Amino acid sequence: MTANSHNADTTADRDWLDGLLDADAREARSGYIADGGFTARVMQALPLRLTLPAWRKPAIVALWGVALAGISLALPGAVLDIAREAYRLLGAHPVSLSGMAGAILFAGALSWSAAAYALRTSE
Amino acid sequence: MASNEVSDATLIARALVGDDRHAFAELVRRHQSTVRACLRKLTAGNHALADDLSQETFVLAWRNLKSFRQEARFSTWLYRIATNCWLSNARKRKEELLGDRDDAVAEDDDGNAGDGENAHGDHARSASLKIDLERAMAVLSEGERAAIVQCYHNDLTHEEAAYVLDCPVGTVKTHVLRGKQKLKLAMAAWAPEGN
Repeated sequence: MTANSHNADTTADRDWLDGLLDADAREARSGYIADGGFTARVMQALPLRLTLPAWRKPAIVALWGVALAGISLALPGAVLDIAREAYRLLGAHPVSLSGMAGAILFAGALSWSAAAYALRTSE
Repeated sequence: MASNEVSDATLIARALVGDDRHAFAELVRRHQSTVRACLRKLTAGNHALADDLSQETFVLAWRNLKSFRQEARFSTWLYRIATNCWLSNARKRKEELLGDRDDAVAEDDDGNAGDGENAHGDHARSASLKIDLERAMAVLSEGERAAIVQCYHNDLTHEEAAYVLDCPVGTVKTHVLRGKQKLKLAMAAWAPEGN
């Protein structure tokens, strides 16, 4: 008796069919199925791994940081102008309740989309 | 397996961390025979379908490799995927099990089928048994067939078979018991005198 599954069976429980099934299983196990190009076919069918490499996200953040720092250093006047205009548009004007709600909704949708994109699964 | 061979766990780690396709290819090479043999049994001898499902099994294994938690042997995990592939395929199509099966056995390119009815002695008996067993297996329900294949052909314990079939151990035992009852009827010609 070779099959693990029969551990719980008593000798009395075993019968001629167990013998036949064991014999068939033994024969099947003794015959190795030659690869015959099977592995190559599987490897060709494999999809590209969609998982991002672990270093990719920090690298992108770092690159954006470097780019922004570079722009600030190269065009200090332009950066100050943009900041001043942004303050004038957003801070110096009275904001209505509906405008504020719209802005919050827009910012929320934007951040959720960005989070969903960043955390998308590999599948 | 030779002692200096890289373990399955190491190959899996390489495939996962380094996206190493060569490591995965080695895993496929190592397990292709057992997975294909298991599926040939489940498909009752339909070699072409078994090989298609085997390919699907390994592609799914590649996609889901990160979910393999080493709670079972890699081969057992592959059996689980293979069985699910077969079940899903069997549900999709109405199998014509008795149709092409004899041809498939006759075309066995690995030389396992033997010479059929013209051969003599043990070899003929073995080939004949194989054909009759495949016919009889086709009579079983999917659950019974899967349980018999996992417990006898793949030599798994009831607990391992329960993991592969994703069902309680009691269900596996019931499937095996009922499957054997049906097989006894279908294989009555092989019963020794007095049974």
